[in-house]
Amino acid sequence: MTALSMTFSSSGPLFHGRFAHIRCWAYLGMMAGMAAMAMFAGGGYVEDEYIFQLFSMQGATWMAGGAVVGIAYALTTSKEKFRAYRFSEILVPWIDGAVLMVALMGLYTLFEPSEAMITYEDQSNLISGRIVMAMNVFLLFSAITYVAYLIAPAEFIGKLGTMTAWFGVYAGGSALLLRWYESYLLMGGDIGHAPVSNLYEVFIFLFCVICVIYLTLESRHQVRGLGAFVMPIVAGGVFFSIWLESIGQSDIKPLVPALQSYWMKIHVPLNFVGYGSFAVACAAGMAWLLREKIEMKNPDAKVLSVFPSLKVLDQLAYKAVAIGFPAFTLATILGAAWAAEAWGGYWSWDPKETWALIVWLVYGAYLHARFSHGLHGKTLAWWAVLGFLVTIFCFVGVNMYLSGLHSYGQLS
Amino acid sequence: MWLCYATMISFNQTLKPILHRIGSMPVAILLLILLAVASVIGTVLKQNQDQIDYLQQFGPTWYWTFRALGLFDMYHTWWFLAILGLLMFSLFACVLRNAPRFLKEMKSRKGTLSENARKHIMHKFDLTLDDKAKAIASIKTSLPGWKWMETKVTVAGVETLWLRGDKGRFHKWGYILVHISMLVLLIGGAMSTQFGFRGNMAVPEGKTESEISFLKGTSVEYLKMPFEVRCDTFSINFFSTGAPSEFRSTLTIIEDGKEVMTSDIIVNDPLYYKGVRIYQASFGDGGSEVTLKLHRLNREGNIDIAKAQVYTMYEDPYSDVTMEFKDFRPYNIENMAPAGQAKDFKDMGPSVDFVIRGKGLKPVLVRSMMDPFIMDDKNQGSMIMISKTGDARDFETFLLGLDFSNPKEWQLFQSFVGQLPTNKDATKEDNLNAFRAALDEVYPDGRPEDLQMLGMRVLQALKVLPDMPWPFVPMLDDFDQTYYTGLQLAKDPGMNVVWVGSAFLVFGLCIMFYVAHRKVWIKIIDKDDSVTLEVTGLSNRNPIAFEQEFTDLEQQIKDAYEQKKGVTV
Repeated sequence: MTALSMTFSSSGPLFHGRFAHIRCWAYLGMMAGMAAMAMFAGGGYVEDEYIFQLFSMQGATWMAGGAVVGIAYALTTSKEKFRAYRFSEILVPWIDGAVLMVALMGLYTLFEPSEAMITYEDQSNLISGRIVMAMNVFLLFSAITYVAYLIAPAEFIGKLGTMTAWFGVYAGGSALLLRWYESYLLMGGDIGHAPVSNLYEVFIFLFCVICVIYLTLESRHQVRGLGAFVMPIVAGGVFFSIWLESIGQSDIKPLVPALQSYWMKIHVPLNFVGYGSFAVACAAGMAWLLREKIEMKNPDAKVLSVFPSLKVLDQLAYKAVAIGFPAFTLATILGAAWAAEAWGGYWSWDPKETWALIVWLVYGAYLHARFSHGLHGKTLAWWAVLGFLVTIFCFVGVNMYLSGLHSYGQLS
Repeated sequence: MWLCYATMISFNQTLKPILHRIGSMPVAILLLILLAVASVIGTVLKQNQDQIDYLQQFGPTWYWTFRALGLFDMYHTWWFLAILGLLMFSLFACVLRNAPRFLKEMKSRKGTLSENARKHIMHKFDLTLDDKAKAIASIKTSLPGWKWMETKVTVAGVETLWLRGDKGRFHKWGYILVHISMLVLLIGGAMSTQFGFRGNMAVPEGKTESEISFLKGTSVEYLKMPFEVRCDTFSINFFSTGAPSEFRSTLTIIEDGKEVMTSDIIVNDPLYYKGVRIYQASFGDGGSEVTLKLHRLNREGNIDIAKAQVYTMYEDPYSDVTMEFKDFRPYNIENMAPAGQAKDFKDMGPSVDFVIRGKGLKPVLVRSMMDPFIMDDKNQGSMIMISKTGDARDFETFLLGLDFSNPKEWQLFQSFVGQLPTNKDATKEDNLNAFRAALDEVYPDGRPEDLQMLGMRVLQALKVLPDMPWPFVPMLDDFDQTYYTGLQLAKDPGMNVVWVGSAFLVFGLCIMFYVAHRKVWIKIIDKDDSVTLEVTGLSNRNPIAFEQEFTDLEQQIKDAYEQKKGVTV
């Protein structure tokens, strides 16, 4: 979501100083207004109605009220407190990106077929499927471009890769939002639910997470060469999700009772922040191993010109794990909290749970190897790569080969 | 005194090395690997299945080997628990060994920095200001979050003042917290398994139950609850696809014969009573009353009524055939569209499942439907499904031709069969005449509307029914449904301990990963009419963010100094 900042940051004051600060607090106030409406507005919080309330006069009033309070606060912060500005400058591009996604989704709804044309039985005319297709194209193109950039490091090609990856993120994110909206159009709104309920949906989410994590690292550390390893992983996922679609997994289906909980919206996305960062760590590990091999053969190889150095790759793999490990831990704990509410116990040694534990142990061991034993380089690079294989099994393999309480992720 | 001394010695000589060994990294890694491998086995080998299934799957040799190792209920075997216990011990030893060192490291702050060290540090700048006192004051008071310490060093009679600032000095607490939290988690888990229970209870509508059952090793055990649970009603809502959207049980808790509370539960919303959580887990048939019509495949073709309950056995009084009723379903919603086309959901009506047995008969699972199969608004006749393996996934569908829900069709069929010419050289016309005669007999007031369809279906029946291995065609005729609600009851005294441990864990991880210990040394060198600050900064992680912060620091010191100066002048 820092695409905007990347494009404009050097040029304008849009993302700096007072303006960014005020905008940031307007957003934060607006969010506080939304939360306040959920808590205090008449009738209480009803999940399926809340979204529609937001888009009504009532929602506008609460949000505008919150925004005004936020702006008022921002105006009182003195310029000397430039740490406060910095906080806004970091935060604001992310919220901008989220707002842009919502706006894109709103735009797509204009092209949705008329209500009479939408049926549960035949979902092929829903727009979100087409936007997902566009995302697939962007991401595949980006993968090719990044690889090309590594071989022929022209600035233009690299920028093209970054840009298309961002397009992919925005297409994927807005398509998921649209899918959420579309789920309410089917069967009279009975089956509306967040688009994180089956493999197809979480795959799209995962692509976005991987890309965002990678692109953020790319812009902070100037490591565009790493894209040639991250995006092919995403591209592999894209092919898998195309296959899922071809076997009819892309339909919006009603939720089984066990999934009808607000926990789903928290537990699932957070887990994928973990998986996504482990994917980035894996890419950095692969890059490390390849670079080492090339260096051994020919230290002056042309391909090394934009290839991040071994030290940086080692750092980035760690950074990705440092994002993923706490997120994954929290996701597992929240999953336990959900299980305590739905299944009669916080831990049941269900295959998914057990594999999550194994993944956790693998990355826990990675961190120990790094800090307690000071391991670096080759061992850890392999560790990151193999750790991701374990993660893939936990994410897809368990659903496909083992049955258990998490079996709604299964292909049927 | 002597005793105390002896204990000290014995601790230092025996216990301490053991503690060190168990708390060492190789042992911990060995335990973690063992835990991971065992977990993999536990997921690949399906846990807590029927023993017979295991025996069939692995054969006697492997079955007994696995059983001896406890692999069918692996997570509760002594050796798996021993791994967890040792892990706990190892964690404890690890914390005991490392925490004091960490705490010491956090306390000791070196106030000065050698020239040589400064040379190798990236983040540094020199600042020259006029007023020493004001410079020091502005550093100490106006930089938020930094903790300052003064050190005076006298070299060759010249006293130099050093300021050392720290931010995030507590970051080592992250490591300690994370390890302690895992200890807490394991203790919570142990409390759950030691003092808690978890089991299932099936309560038919209107009935009361007070015992839960659970698996222990390879056997089922029972536990009496201190209260009774009555299921007042149970209901299911469905999506139009036939998938259940909600199960809801109304439960009444009865304690000492008194009704103490009544409440609804659904999945994801359990009931809590005296430390026990009651969850909606599943549902099933609670022994529905079913009535079947047995259409005799004999010369008389009479119809007998068979009344039974699900989960009971019906013995046919006229033959040695028995039907063991397994399940009743009020709906059977199926996708009627061919694969790849837009879905078309249709309710096929109620059905009953039973296993039919008899002398010389292969036992099969049968699903008998109450309603005829209607396709394209045309009655295709009744339907029966047969699974030769006894597995519901292997059902094969047979169209019986006749619509058994309409008794006239059976009459027609019987009459037709009775009047069919038996001689070999009968012509088509003869057969048709027999059909006409049967029609006249059964429908004296005029022919039914879908005559052509009916004719075809009677022919179909003529093909299918004589091949039936049973002495009758059992068709579901009526039902009175009751559900049972599948409850899970759990008491978990360790749960809150686990949540506390979890909170510690996340908090500790956040400190560990996101709090950097940042150090700043400022050497204050007096000049004739000014003072030079040699500022050096170091961070143990995230150098990029620190670079920003360090650059900010320079600006902040300048700004604060200017402000101070402005105020006093």
